[in-house]
Amino acid sequence: MDQKRLLAAIAISIGILLSFELLNRPTREAQRAQQAAQQAAVVQQQQQASPLPLPLPSNPLGTPTDAAAAAGAPTSPAARLPVDGPRVLGTLNLRGARLDDLVLKGYHETVARDSPLVRLLAPRDGAAPYYAQWGWTAADGRTPVPGNDSDWTAEGDRLAPGKPVTLRWDNGQGQVFEIGLALDENYMVTAEQRVRNTGAEAVQVLPWARIRREHTPPTQGFYILHEGFVGVLDGRLREETYSSAKSEAAKRGGIAFEQEGPGGWAGITDKYWLTALAPVDQQARFKATYRALQEPGAKGQEERWQVDFAQPAPIVVAPGATGGGQAIRLFAGAKEVNLLDAYSNRLGIPDFDKAVDFGWFYFLTKPFFHILHFLGSILGNFGVAILVFTLVLKALFFPLANKSYRSMAKMKVLGPKMQEIRERYKEDPAKAQSEMMALYRTEKVNPASGCLPILIQIPVFFALYKVLFVTIEMRHAPFFGWIHDLSAPDPTNLFNLFGLLPFDPAHWSSYLHMPAWALIMGATMFFQQRLNPAPPDPVQAKLFQWMPLIFTFMLAGMPAGLVIYWSWNNLLSIAQQWTIQRQAGQQKPGAAAVPVAALPAGAAKPKKG
Amino acid sequence: MSAGAQALRGAVIAYQWTLRPFIGAHCRFHPSCSHYALEALETHGALRGAWLAGRRILRCNPWHPGGEDPVPPVGARHSQPVPKG
Repeated sequence: MDQKRLLAAIAISIGILLSFELLNRPTREAQRAQQAAQQAAVVQQQQQASPLPLPLPSNPLGTPTDAAAAAGAPTSPAARLPVDGPRVLGTLNLRGARLDDLVLKGYHETVARDSPLVRLLAPRDGAAPYYAQWGWTAADGRTPVPGNDSDWTAEGDRLAPGKPVTLRWDNGQGQVFEIGLALDENYMVTAEQRVRNTGAEAVQVLPWARIRREHTPPTQGFYILHEGFVGVLDGRLREETYSSAKSEAAKRGGIAFEQEGPGGWAGITDKYWLTALAPVDQQARFKATYRALQEPGAKGQEERWQVDFAQPAPIVVAPGATGGGQAIRLFAGAKEVNLLDAYSNRLGIPDFDKAVDFGWFYFLTKPFFHILHFLGSILGNFGVAILVFTLVLKALFFPLANKSYRSMAKMKVLGPKMQEIRERYKEDPAKAQSEMMALYRTEKVNPASGCLPILIQIPVFFALYKVLFVTIEMRHAPFFGWIHDLSAPDPTNLFNLFGLLPFDPAHWSSYLHMPAWALIMGATMFFQQRLNPAPPDPVQAKLFQWMPLIFTFMLAGMPAGLVIYWSWNNLLSIAQQWTIQRQAGQQKPGAAAVPVAALPAGAAKPKKG
Repeated sequence: MSAGAQALRGAVIAYQWTLRPFIGAHCRFHPSCSHYALEALETHGALRGAWLAGRRILRCNPWHPGGEDPVPPVGARHSQPVPKG
């Protein structure tokens, strides 16, 4: 085999692995900075008294029909109705019937307790517009319907739990549009839309509800975390990232995904936050659409992301009747798994917990979440919960590991014989390999645990890693020492001697960030590898030596909770292996072939000797 | 070789170049499970090749002695079980 080429191929593949992390890091950090700037801009603009002229709206559903807003932008400031729940705070924009100002109580932007609350929804005249809106399309082409600059009147002085509000807009031609809004104790707003027709003729209208994001948010850029459109429609999870939605929509006139069916839910998700629409009647048929559009804005062509629910066909409202309505819920809040589950059970929203990206290993990640959550609540610290849970998993796999590590310990005893074989078949590695296998067989040892145990363990430890990555439990969860947020990278840095030097080299390049926990991880990985025999293949052995260093750099920018988990996992492996090797080391070389059962029993005995 | 077998071989090769250096080689057999899979897919096609490779991985556990275990030749009705050591 041409080893140089193989080595090159492996180097390239490692390069690809690394590029997931390293190449993404500078972009991610730039995006984070941009997001911070945007948030600052939003706050600043909200403090200004006079609103800026509204940019041109699009009309994705053939609505809203106020395309002339730029020409005749209303000059009076829009009236706003306070929204005040136990967990949310904001205002409802009575111009256009939009919920476009919402912050989440209890979630701060940074670890500092006095930092601003996390802003989920923001108005159109800010830098990061994101809002929900309810409206109608005139299906008959002549009924005036409310638009983006229609001023609604509100019945009720504020929207709070137990204090519903009804918005009204009279089109002056006999039709009164109404939106009844109710807020619950958490993050759910229920909107009932209806039209009262007091005119002489029947009207045809199509009610809709939409969530619209008029900027592209910075994303984490990790493959194991979905950000963008998400929904469960007709029983299936439908996800589109911003980029996949964009390319799909380019082919299909702005529509990234469209489905008609009974109920379901759909919205836009961030790592920790979600806005989603879900029909109240989950049996009724709706058409749900994900849209990605380009519109001229302040910064040239700007991207617009929209999820909307509309009835499959327009509704006829007879004279003197009330109709043309629908009831759709809006969730706008944090993706707390237990809360999402409660909504699923209580309101019948199907698979609402899939808003959290539990992934393909849902059957593992979901139970893992519950165990971690439970441990976290009784231990009082989520970091300790991670350590305890990893210990439990390790103990469960101990029988497998014990068996393989024992034979690995016996291998060391067999060392001279193996060396002899290697010397004898220096010219023929394949022959040496098969001779080695014969030796293992006669001595009843085998250095490897086998592919099956590894295959079983991969999904388990990946699931744990994934849970730690996607759930909100880690956010701002403290640990010992200098870790105040398990979901953020460890702030310490080797390159300024952990704060002794008065500068931060990470400002110059994100590669110059080497936190203490990443170093601990690298060291534990190094020692764990030292306890293993080197792989027989020299190319692989060389690569093996570099793995701890590569991983130290790869994990430097990862959430501290994950790095702590890795370190702890390595440490447990070392402890396990060291104990077994010490036990086996007391045996004489001739005793290497005694049945395993004769050795001091471990915590769990394998089924067969 | 069929397109299916070719695709499966591609997946195995991708594993060998990316995941294996990371998790380390733990195979108890010679040839290793991934090499066995490549050869089985080549000589027996996608369906039987995948079946043989799957059985090999199931055998590759701490309770099996391991050792030499070549891909059975075409025409053999049953893969030769590895004699118990």
